[in-house]
Amino acid sequence: MVPLSYYVILSVIVFVTGVVGVLIRRNIIIILLSVELMLNATNINFVAYSYYFQNITGQVFVFFALTVAAAEVAVGLAIIIALYRSKSSINVDEFQLLKW
Amino acid sequence: MTFTLTLSGADLLLLLPEMLLTVWLCVVLTMDFAMPRLPKDRLAYLSVAGLAGVLANLVWFDLAGIGGTLFAHMFVVDRLAVFFKIFIVGTTILVILASVDYVRRFRFFKGEYYFLVLMSALGMMFMASANDLLSVFITLEFSTFGFYVLVAYLRDDVASNEAGLKFFILGVFAAGLLAYGISLVYGETGKLVFSDIASPSATPGLVIGFLLIFAALGFKIGAVPFHSWIPDTYHGAPTPVTAFLSIAPKGAAFAILIRMFFVSLAAFKPAWVLLLVGASILSMTYGNIVAIAQRNIKRLLAYSGIAQIGNILIGLAAGTKMGGDAILFYLLTYLFANLGAFAIVIAVGNLIRSDEIEDYNGLNRRSPFLAFAMLVFLLSLAGVPPLAGFIGKLYIFLAAIDEGLYTLIAVGLINIVISMYYYLVVVKKMYINEPTDPSPLTISPPMKVVVYAGLAGTLFLGIYPQPAINWVVAATLMFSNLAGPAAAAPTLVLPIGG
Repeated sequence: MVPLSYYVILSVIVFVTGVVGVLIRRNIIIILLSVELMLNATNINFVAYSYYFQNITGQVFVFFALTVAAAEVAVGLAIIIALYRSKSSINVDEFQLLKW
Repeated sequence: MTFTLTLSGADLLLLLPEMLLTVWLCVVLTMDFAMPRLPKDRLAYLSVAGLAGVLANLVWFDLAGIGGTLFAHMFVVDRLAVFFKIFIVGTTILVILASVDYVRRFRFFKGEYYFLVLMSALGMMFMASANDLLSVFITLEFSTFGFYVLVAYLRDDVASNEAGLKFFILGVFAAGLLAYGISLVYGETGKLVFSDIASPSATPGLVIGFLLIFAALGFKIGAVPFHSWIPDTYHGAPTPVTAFLSIAPKGAAFAILIRMFFVSLAAFKPAWVLLLVGASILSMTYGNIVAIAQRNIKRLLAYSGIAQIGNILIGLAAGTKMGGDAILFYLLTYLFANLGAFAIVIAVGNLIRSDEIEDYNGLNRRSPFLAFAMLVFLLSLAGVPPLAGFIGKLYIFLAAIDEGLYTLIAVGLINIVISMYYYLVVVKKMYINEPTDPSPLTISPPMKVVVYAGLAGTLFLGIYPQPAINWVVAATLMFSNLAGPAAAAPTLVLPIGG
């Protein structure tokens, strides 16, 4: 049996990859994917803990996190398409009209 | 494991305001599609009518003291939740009235605008009732999705798109932090309900988890160092959306922060006071100093908003029942003054199509009423007696004095002086400078209603604050166990007015 700590270490690695991706990548699609990684790290944690505690709450959270992630992508892609129409680019460095 | 879900009529009653609003926003959306020739203004008034019904329902809850929990304590209705729901619904009504003129400028999707505003309001009402980390996550995302679309609503305007993008990226990043923080807290305690996760010992997982949750909520309220999206988003978004975004989500997020810090983390108060004191000092100082350099009134109000959030965090740092009262009261004063100031910005922006502070030159000659109202709102934000902002600041400082947070109060007082400077620069431009275009400005009836409501609220809370103080004191009764030395006296008698 795989100990709980392995799952937690995996989720930390996935989460940190996601955070670093959001902070250093400039392509909006990659940023969106990195956020998905952060949410998936959450899901790994919840499922592992849920099994460890023999408690269903964590797995319920995973379903909601998946739904929220899907809704996020839908809204995000809509905004990205609107931006692409006006700028023909999805690089965040191109959007400097407002002082960052 | 068996799972039974039983809902009695009494349980459903607790959900009545949310159910009413849900039905009503479906009605608004259906009317928009089914009657394409219906003037879109009517949808605004229809939305306001529905919200007025919800407001009446909430006032009834408050007067009758109806309360309870639902869905295994995930959803709670108590005086605190009802206070924040009234706050949110009231804000939404005023924002919709202030939007009517602005929405006429849209070329497409005029009707959906009202639907999205109602949808966000519904999400925030659920936030006010969230009593468990799962409902915090879902309701927070629910209310924010509407805002992502609203901020980027002006499809042809690159600034609005850019504001939407920045808001979206930082918003989903904050959502990721929130979810991960919740998973760590769950890992340490095995539970999600606020009152159950009050753990006796601070393990590393719990500390990191709560720090991540605090960071995500910090994004939501725009406290330094999580403020970076605020100025750009406020600047680029349609102005009524900026007004909505600057008030309602802050209130809803404070409902969650109060529950989290006062219920789950009450045992660790010495540890988190430092965190909140730091965030408060940084927010006040950064917001006020950077606001001085602004040329655009929306950016000025954005930075002033960051500073106001710093002030509210003083109440949270106090960590007593009185601190909670002061937060609620301050939010009320902030609602009227900030929404009023934004209403003027919307009205002037509709007429002269500019948000630059330079264009407020000689506003007094062009519209004495708008200039006077702006003067009152800015002075209230600065905290000048006898306006509401003064009582709000006094209340929050008194709560902090009881806890001995003297450094925080000193920084707060210095910041009042700094903020006075940039508010008065706007006042000087309105009253002393000559207008470039002296043509008079006229404002529409719905906008007048919003400005009058803001003026009435600001003056009433400033001159006769006692009813509102009684209301907020009653709303936080459940935190009486956090008694500081002053909590023995249930009603605060302020030296002036009341």
